[in-house]
Amino acid sequence: MHDKQFKKEMLTESAHAYKAGRMDRRTFLALCGASGVAMNAVLAGDAEAAADYVVMWNWGGQSEECHGSAIGDAFTANTGKGLKFDTSGPLEGKIREMVDSGNVTADVADADLFNAVSLGPTGHLEPIDYSVVSKDKTLPGYALEHGVSVILYGYAFVYDTEAYGDNPPQNWADFFDVEKFPGMRSLYKWANGSLEAALMADGVAGDALYPLDMDRALAKIKSIKDDSLYWGSGSEAHSMVVNGEVSLGMVWQNRGRNIERDTDGRYKLVNNQAMAMPGAYIVPKGNPAGAAVMDFIATAQEVPAQLALLDCLGMTPSNPEAFSQIPDDQQPYAITSAMNIDNIVYNDPDWWGKNGGDAVNAFLEAIS
Amino acid sequence: MHALTRHIHPGWLIIAPLFLLVVTLYLGPILNILWLSFTDPEPGLGNYAKLGQEGAQLRIVWTTVRICIITTIFSVVLGYSIAYAMVHAHRQQKSYMLTLLLVSFWISILVRTFAWLMLLGRKGLVNVTLEDIGLIAEPITFMRNELGVLIGMVHYMIPYAVLPLLVSMQSIDQRVMNASRNLGASGTQTFWRIYLPLTTPGLVAATLLVFILSLGFYVTPAVLGGGKVLMVAEYISVQLLVTLKWGTAAMLAAIMLMGVLAMLWIMSRFMKLSTVFGGATR
Amino acid sequence: MADPTQIGSLQIRNVSKFFGSFQAVNDISLDIQNGEFLTLLGPSGSGKTTLLMMVAGFLDISRGDIALDGASIATVPAEKRNFGMVFQGYALFPHMSVRDNVGYALSVRKRPAREIRARVDEMLELVQLQDFADRKPGQLSGGQQQRVALARALCFAPPVLLLDEPLGALDKKLRVEVQEQLKDIHRRVGTTFIYVTHDQEEALSMSDRIVIMRDGAIEQVGTPKELYERPVNRFTASFLGKSNFIEHAGKAFALRPEKIDLHPGNSHADARLRGTIRSMTYFGSMQRIIVAADNNTEIEVDIDVWRNPSNLAEGARVDLLWEDTAAVELQSG
Repeated sequence: MHDKQFKKEMLTESAHAYKAGRMDRRTFLALCGASGVAMNAVLAGDAEAAADYVVMWNWGGQSEECHGSAIGDAFTANTGKGLKFDTSGPLEGKIREMVDSGNVTADVADADLFNAVSLGPTGHLEPIDYSVVSKDKTLPGYALEHGVSVILYGYAFVYDTEAYGDNPPQNWADFFDVEKFPGMRSLYKWANGSLEAALMADGVAGDALYPLDMDRALAKIKSIKDDSLYWGSGSEAHSMVVNGEVSLGMVWQNRGRNIERDTDGRYKLVNNQAMAMPGAYIVPKGNPAGAAVMDFIATAQEVPAQLALLDCLGMTPSNPEAFSQIPDDQQPYAITSAMNIDNIVYNDPDWWGKNGGDAVNAFLEAIS
Repeated sequence: MHALTRHIHPGWLIIAPLFLLVVTLYLGPILNILWLSFTDPEPGLGNYAKLGQEGAQLRIVWTTVRICIITTIFSVVLGYSIAYAMVHAHRQQKSYMLTLLLVSFWISILVRTFAWLMLLGRKGLVNVTLEDIGLIAEPITFMRNELGVLIGMVHYMIPYAVLPLLVSMQSIDQRVMNASRNLGASGTQTFWRIYLPLTTPGLVAATLLVFILSLGFYVTPAVLGGGKVLMVAEYISVQLLVTLKWGTAAMLAAIMLMGVLAMLWIMSRFMKLSTVFGGATR
Repeated sequence: MADPTQIGSLQIRNVSKFFGSFQAVNDISLDIQNGEFLTLLGPSGSGKTTLLMMVAGFLDISRGDIALDGASIATVPAEKRNFGMVFQGYALFPHMSVRDNVGYALSVRKRPAREIRARVDEMLELVQLQDFADRKPGQLSGGQQQRVALARALCFAPPVLLLDEPLGALDKKLRVEVQEQLKDIHRRVGTTFIYVTHDQEEALSMSDRIVIMRDGAIEQVGTPKELYERPVNRFTASFLGKSNFIEHAGKAFALRPEKIDLHPGNSHADARLRGTIRSMTYFGSMQRIIVAADNNTEIEVDIDVWRNPSNLAEGARVDLLWEDTAAVELQSG
């Protein structure tokens, strides 16, 4: 970590020197090469700090690199502004704290659309400027006053082909059927997706989920509690499956491809009844870069950015224009691909924004 | 000014600015938490009333206390044995043992937690080995349950228990032990009647330290408990970050703080806490 | 409990102790009678405490044997030897009352509570601490703690009591007082006392016999009077009291300062040496005079102040006289 930080600082220094003419291009490139960093990544990052930039608040890991190459490059080309990152994870509580403290350091948060519903009315978010951002470049209902869905992720499940090879589980009803499919299963700990899956397993139609019948969902969750583990992060969900702790694992669908690869195909992703979750860009009230951030969001909506995010992070496009351009090898994993789009269900950010807190607590209390 | 200096030692005036700074930095946030617990989402005792009404929150507090008590018992008993072995080992071995103990402080809690999964998980080294040699047919579920949480926490806490015990044991006069033997006491009698009472301050310090640190445990229960072992620290963090029920979080934090203070107060009735925290015996 | 006056003789046979290659005790043999007050006297590093620790059972014997009343105890663990011991620094149990400290030996032997109580009262009376039974050791003075340690060690009527520099932590005035008490207690209980000290006055005033040790070996054994009057070598003579050393006819003699007489002037017919007074120091009961003798030696002379002839002064010429028996011939060493 330190090492990475050091390299970044060295390159930032060099970028300034290069711009100021103190370092020739060859030396600068050599330095970049030695550090294994593409020059544009440096220029798009801290080097632009001297000029003008937008700070993106995301979850770190690969997303830093992917957001830079998928959106940042094009954004810089279009506007001449750079992109910086805060990778500490924009949890709802942190956004509220940042805005309340009056020290807003982030321009756009890689969050959930339901965050826009809960934080918008309390005055913690800037409204989205739909003269710059397009309502048509996302799914209907996912362009809200204080946030717009830029990508989709989803709750699907993987199963152990060695355990259920002949008669594989096909839907959430199978996932919750411990008689027919014995073995441990894993669910998401913060209720989201788990509640909907439970209701679908109990016979509720995918388009009639909301408002969620909490009692019914929790009863279903509790019915398989002895056979369930609960994960709190994508990597934990991944390791529970890869380490063979569970035979059926609810996962974020964008992890499906890696899980299949890491288990040599032993675990297989099922996207039937997968729940599409609108990942959204929201803007903390009083963001430092002001209106410039809307250009950034608009850039992210464009088809090339959408496809690049799919390629880099496995996040599915939310811009319908991009659906038809999803490459063949991504078809099974992208939930809005032609292969999957007819079998998925859609999350209701409005319900979650208004009831999410209570739902999470009720869920936690049910499983602990 | 004269009247003032007559009552206040001039030394206090020199450190007064720092003293005030420290008091502000410590008390400020604590008062803020107390304030929040009575005012968010609306003024009143609502958050505290809920603790009584909602069985779930009480259950989480009880789970936390139970796990912390068990962790403390195991950590202190094991820590006592380790400290005893260290005090009585040869100098060379003792320094090896101390190094191993201190090294474990540097390993991040996350790494240790996942190391336990690799070792004792369903497909972990222990289960695979036992299955291979045919001792068990089904893997033993050490992890992703309360047992897993306890294993992880005890492992993390043992060094914290060892250090105060080590100090306490090292300060014992060997002649006092010899006196006991000379007076005809067996090893067992000497241990129970002399050694244990003389190491009581160390035991109490280790117990308090481990118990209080355990109360704040978060990562280990979350991962090793498989999501089913919910402790207060994690619940507080969820209320702060996810559900935005800051009043509930502040209330639980205040309850924990008061609980710890009450515990210290009760202990201070029975013994001089200054001896526990390294003060002189007399 | 056996009558301590009938048992308690110790036989130490060719005992050696090695710590690695260092030999702390070198082939010591010693017979200690029951009821005897025997002192091991020597400078630090002389092996006296090591020998005591082997007798107590806290140290293994490297070579040789130790027997109690003829039966070997070399392999008997410390807690089974039934020897009382007063430790340097007393080693009282700080968390127990005086009563519990004194009764500890009986309590670990699971004696009935009433017996313990009676015996502890008896012991506290012996050391005159009846009023302090419920105090903790930390609330007592050094002398009082010393007496608790003594009472604790004697409570179970051990045949042998080992004392490891028990007065080391007391100031000089208190020490003399406690010496009297110790002697008195020894007379009353009749137990064999083995007493380790580096203080020659303590040794002289209390012991039946003294063992003078140096470098892990015994230099001389005898009653205080024997040792003082007839030291066998230079070490004993200088360690126990003060001594002048005189060469005569190729032989070495020890001469105690108080056995020399001074005559002013150089006129005395029986003068053994002549010289000049270099310094005079007044000590109240006596006066120490350093004489620079004409044979280029310095002689120390102690004379009673009341006998001091008025014409003795620094720089005065004097004659030195002594009886034939006053000079003790020494072995080499």
